[in-house]
Amino acid sequence: MPNKLISLAEAGRRFSWDGMCYASGAALPVGSDALVFGRELLRQKRKDLHAIFHCCGQQLNLLAAAGAATKAECGFAALEVVGFANGLRRAVESGRLALEDYSNLAMALRLLGGALNWPFVPATVNIGSDLQDRSAFAPDAYPSREKIPAITDPFSGKEIGAFSPLKPDVAAIHVTLADANGNAILLGTEWSRFELSRAAKRVVVIADAIVDPGCIRQYPNLVRIPELLVEAVVYWPFAAWPHSSPGMYDMDEEHMFFMNKALASEQGTADYIRDFVESYSDLDSYLDMIGRDKIAHLSDSVSSFLLDPYRRWILPADEVARLTAPDAGSKEIAA
Amino acid sequence: MSAALDYTRQEMMAIATGREIRDGELAIFGVGLSMLAGFFAQANHAPNLRSMTEGGVYGATPVGGLPWGIECNRLAANATSFTSALDALGFLVASGRCDVGVIGAAQVDKFGNVNTTGIWDGDIGPHYRPPKTRLPGAGGANDIACGAGRFIVMASHERKRFTNKVDYISSPGYLDGGDSRARKGFVGGGPSAIVTTLGILRPEPGTREFVLDGWFAFSSVDEIKAHTGWDLRVAPDAREIPEPTATELANLRRVDETGALRKK
Repeated sequence: MPNKLISLAEAGRRFSWDGMCYASGAALPVGSDALVFGRELLRQKRKDLHAIFHCCGQQLNLLAAAGAATKAECGFAALEVVGFANGLRRAVESGRLALEDYSNLAMALRLLGGALNWPFVPATVNIGSDLQDRSAFAPDAYPSREKIPAITDPFSGKEIGAFSPLKPDVAAIHVTLADANGNAILLGTEWSRFELSRAAKRVVVIADAIVDPGCIRQYPNLVRIPELLVEAVVYWPFAAWPHSSPGMYDMDEEHMFFMNKALASEQGTADYIRDFVESYSDLDSYLDMIGRDKIAHLSDSVSSFLLDPYRRWILPADEVARLTAPDAGSKEIAA
Repeated sequence: MSAALDYTRQEMMAIATGREIRDGELAIFGVGLSMLAGFFAQANHAPNLRSMTEGGVYGATPVGGLPWGIECNRLAANATSFTSALDALGFLVASGRCDVGVIGAAQVDKFGNVNTTGIWDGDIGPHYRPPKTRLPGAGGANDIACGAGRFIVMASHERKRFTNKVDYISSPGYLDGGDSRARKGFVGGGPSAIVTTLGILRPEPGTREFVLDGWFAFSSVDEIKAHTGWDLRVAPDAREIPEPTATELANLRRVDETGALRKK
């Protein structure tokens, strides 16, 4: 069985470039988001990203605040009960980032369209509103006839709309569990991670835990992202922090508010990047940065029981580290 | 007597919204206030309510307080099914299966159109420009507004929010009124009520303009008109809306265990 485990830094080098169409998030803001991959994009000084996020989480908030994303498409652009996404808001209001608005179903349908290689997706939502008429990417067209053009249903003759399909260059998808080959299990709602994994040209999964392949063979129905779609696997506990990961850890309320407050200003963003993006050198120092007491607290989640069926297969960190050694990529693992 | 009960305007709004939801319905809630209103209905008078969130969390009631979001562990810890946005908003809402949705609004206009995208200084004009204040966007509310059998809008009753015409239509109500929504052919019927911190507005048959249907005990027709940005008409049968009963309040507070609605 191929071993696709690579380090986060290597994943960042191999799967990102300036100007790429980058998809992540794919969950509502306080759910799982491959946030640590966004931190890595900043560490590697990526810029001019075209971001596709089903919903804006702290990752898009951070990329927008830092000026790394100049275009974004999403369905919901805030942090739910935590508040407006200050970094994204600042970038949009200042005109540094063009945010193309769709609804949450529209984003899922557009990813489905990309996954199926459809030329367009029939739109029965978003039509008749300014989501159809206004385009941040083509601001002079009003009412816009390019973003969600009106088409005629060939069967009923009724006017509907057409959504453009999405095929991001790279998707960094947060998953709860993956084996070293890239078979992944997601606890909690998928949002559109299933569709995204089929729509993106290249997929990296970022897993909170690595499991023995026996786990995958025990629960094949639950493997919604099979290895054949996945190019690389990154092991990174608390990859979604300060978001939550059902079964694994709760949202870090304190840091969610702290981070969003920081991203509200240029100086705050610079300080945040210094302290929480560039400050760690490996997984251990990342976890130290979060704080070991905090990690114990967040891990004591009301949702922890969701992980119970899988615990016996979770590989210890030192074994995962051995598998992720620089030359491990060429090794075969006995499955 | 209920008159002696101490409750906040937010609690009254949540209870009035909950009363709009009937037992046995398939309902979809957003996060925050609308979720509390929905779970209140389930706890109070709609035990057979089937609820879902737009991310595809089914059968859950919150554990340990108001969820921070739809995928929050406070809901994930008590679900019977996890699926996806395509399933919840598509297979169950866009399909026409969902009976009722509850959405919030930063601005709502006299035809029940909702803006949650941004506030501009005056008309956007023919050239799209960034809003002065960027808001969260449409989220799943547009999909609920297009697809749910009916939907209820919850909004704090302030003049700046209750406007003659919203800056941007994020979620369609009755568009320009009359049959303008019907001509779009949405599977969903449109907004059945706007429940506010002061009272309830409902669409007038024919014109589809929202008129005052009732005021809360602590409010009045005059106060509501003063806080509405269009010339609000009063329905012929408008009346005072019953205050929360002790049972309703107790059921709401069991759902709102962190007291999010108790803040004055």
